[in-house]
Amino acid sequence: MDRPGRHPLHDFFQPESVAVIGASSKPGKVGYAIMSNLVLGAEGQLGGGFRGKVYPVNPAGGEIFRHRAYRKVGDIPDRVDLAVIAVPAAGVLDVMEECAAKGIKAVILISSGFSESGSDGKARERLAVERAHGHGMRLLGPNCLGVINTTNRLNTTFAKKAPPRGPISFVSQSGAICTSVIEYSSEEYMGFANFVSIGNKCDLDDADIIEYYAQDPETRCISIYMESAKGGRRFYDALRKVVSRKPVVILKAGRTAIGAKAASSHTGALAGSDIAYDAAIREAGAIRARTMLELFDFSRALAYQPPVMGDGIAILSNAGGPAVIAADVAQDLGLPLSRLTDETIGKIDGVCPPTWNHGNPVDVIGDADLARYTAVLDILINAPEVHGIITIVGPQAVMDLGDVARAIVEMSGTTSKPFCASMVGVVSQASENYLDEHGIPEMEVPERPVRAMKALYHRGLYLRRRGLG
Amino acid sequence: MNGSDARGGSDIIRAARAEGRSMLDLWEARRVLSFMGLPMDRAVLAGSREAALKAAEQIGYPVVMKIVSPDVVHKTEVGGVKINLSCGKDVGEAFDAMMASVRLKMPTARIKGVLIEEMVRGTELIIGSSCDPQFGRMLMFGMGGIFVEIYKDVSFRLVPIADFDAREMMEEIKGKAIFEGARGYPKADKDQIVRILLAVSEGLMKQPDIEELDINPLMVTEKGIVAVDARVILGEAKKPCPV
Repeated sequence: MDRPGRHPLHDFFQPESVAVIGASSKPGKVGYAIMSNLVLGAEGQLGGGFRGKVYPVNPAGGEIFRHRAYRKVGDIPDRVDLAVIAVPAAGVLDVMEECAAKGIKAVILISSGFSESGSDGKARERLAVERAHGHGMRLLGPNCLGVINTTNRLNTTFAKKAPPRGPISFVSQSGAICTSVIEYSSEEYMGFANFVSIGNKCDLDDADIIEYYAQDPETRCISIYMESAKGGRRFYDALRKVVSRKPVVILKAGRTAIGAKAASSHTGALAGSDIAYDAAIREAGAIRARTMLELFDFSRALAYQPPVMGDGIAILSNAGGPAVIAADVAQDLGLPLSRLTDETIGKIDGVCPPTWNHGNPVDVIGDADLARYTAVLDILINAPEVHGIITIVGPQAVMDLGDVARAIVEMSGTTSKPFCASMVGVVSQASENYLDEHGIPEMEVPERPVRAMKALYHRGLYLRRRGLG
Repeated sequence: MNGSDARGGSDIIRAARAEGRSMLDLWEARRVLSFMGLPMDRAVLAGSREAALKAAEQIGYPVVMKIVSPDVVHKTEVGGVKINLSCGKDVGEAFDAMMASVRLKMPTARIKGVLIEEMVRGTELIIGSSCDPQFGRMLMFGMGGIFVEIYKDVSFRLVPIADFDAREMMEEIKGKAIFEGARGYPKADKDQIVRILLAVSEGLMKQPDIEELDINPLMVTEKGIVAVDARVILGEAKKPCPV
C-alpha cells in the first residue's frame, strides 16, 4: 500500500494476490463460499474467478479448490496484497498479527462477533483497530461481505451471485441489501463496477470508499446504502468533494434518536438527526433515494444517461392514460415539462393526425405506427426547448415493441439529451430488455422513468448552478 | 447591510459568560445580530417607566413593548410582550402591568428593562441555527411566526452555506408564494434574503459559542426586510459547535 501514484485503498480493489484465512473445502462454510467465488467465480460472474493469485490458509493444510492450502499466512512464499479473514472472532487478533508480520497492509474482516454483539465484541473491535493502526494496516469490516470488483473479478464475498459488470459502484452498510441488490441487478441490467459491504466500519467507512470510487475510471455513478455515518462532518466533506466529480445516490435509512436535551429554540426542536442528514445530502449535491426502488432507478439513470442540461423535458407517448400519469408525477416532483414552441407544434402537425393533443405530454395517439412515433421523436430530439425525453409505449398491434425499442436506442445515440423509457406493463420481454441492455433505463410503469429523469434533472441543475456543465 | 463586526458580538457573549449565563437577553441578542450585519427594526432599551415613555415618543406610535431579561425564554408566557401601544397612557399602563406580571410569574428573573420597538407589519419568516451532534452547525430558513409551529415549513443546510444554497433553501419553502408577493403580501427582495442568510452563516462561523439561534420573525415589509425578535443560546464553553 501507499506506493507512489496509487490510491491508499488500491489493494482492497486491485490486489495482485489474496490470502483467504479460514478457507475451507467444506461446502456450507463461509470460507468455502469465499474460495469458490474467488477461484471459480460466483453465479453470473462472466469470465470465471479472480484474475490474480489466491492463497488459501487453513491450519489443516492440504488442498482447497485445487490450490495448495498454507497452514499459516507466514508460510505463503510470495507477497500477499490483501488478506480476507473469515475465522471465528476469537482468533482474529492473532491472525491479524500474522498478517502484519507478513507485511500485509489491507485486511478484510468478514468475521462477525465484534461491536454488533455486546461489550466483549466492542472491546475486541477496538483492539483490532488499535493493532491495525500500529502496523500501518487498514481494515474493512468486520461483520461484512467485503469487496467485489467486476473488472478483475475480485470477489471476497460469500454471496451466491455476482452482479453484472457496469458503471455503478455501490457501498452498503448492510450485507443483506448487497445480496438483494445483486439479485435485482441481474434481472434489470443494472451493471456494477465495484461493490463493497462495509459492515461495522471499524476503520474504513463510507467516506473512504466513495473517495476511492470518485477516482476509479470504471465508475460513473456512486450509490450508497447507509444507516449512519461514522462522522457526520467527515462524511459530508467527502461527499461534497466526490459529488463534484460524479453523481451520488444515497438511501439513508433509520433515524437516530433526537438529542435528549430539551431544545429551547424553535430551530432546535425542528432539527432532528434525519433533517441533518437530509441537509447534508442536499448541500453536498447528492441525490437522496427514499426507497430501494428509487436507489435502483436513480442509479441506473445517472450511470447510463447524461444529465438534463436545461429546464424542460418532453414526454412522448402513444398511450393517453400513462402519459397523464407521467405528467402528474412530473408536476408532483417539480420536474418541468417543456412548453413546446409553435415551430415544434407545427412540425408535429405535419406527421400526426389533426386530433393529436397539441401539447406536452405529446400523445401521438393509440393507432401510431413506428413511422409516426419515430418522426415525432426526431422532432423532439431536435427541439431546442426539449432537454430530455421520456418515451412511453403502450403495447398495441400496429407497432412492434422490438422495432420501436431498436429505433429509440438508435435515435438516442444521435443526441446528448437523456432518455428514460416505459413500455407500460411489459415485463421481461426482449423489447424492454433491449432498451436496458443499451443503457436506456426502462421500467414497466410510467411514473418510474419520470422519477429517474428527475434524478438526471437534479444532476443537471447541480452542474449548471456551479458552472460545471 | 452595514457589514459585520465579529469582535462586537464576541464582547457581548464574553460578558454574558462572565455572569455565568447561557442565554443572551433580547437586547444583547439584537446587538449580536446587528454586529453580524443584519438589518434590524428600530428599537430602544428603556430601564424605567420614564425612559419607556421617552423611547416611545422617539420611535413614534404605535409601539411594541418587550421584556428584556436574561432569564425569560418565552416572553409571552410571562406577559412580557405588549403590542399596538398607541399613546403615552398605553405605554405607562403596559409597563406597570408587565413588571407586575413578570415578577409574579418569574420572581427570580433579572429584569434589565423593556425594549420599545416600532410596530412592524408584514410576512413573518424565520432564520435559525442549531447544533447537530453529528453534522455540527445547521442553518434553518422558512416561514416564521405561527407557521413554523404548525406547518414546519422550513429548510435546513449545514454552515457555511454558499449563495446557491441560500437560493435553494428559499425554493424548498412550500409557502414561498407568500413572500414572493402573492395576494397582495409584501414582495421580498430575494437577493436581500440571500445576503441575510450568508451574513448569518458567516456570523455563526465567527461565534462558535452560539449553540442555538432563532431570528423569529424576520419580517418582510413593504420597505424591506428586518429582524424583529431574536433568541441566542450559548453552548458549553469548552464544547464549541463543530463546523
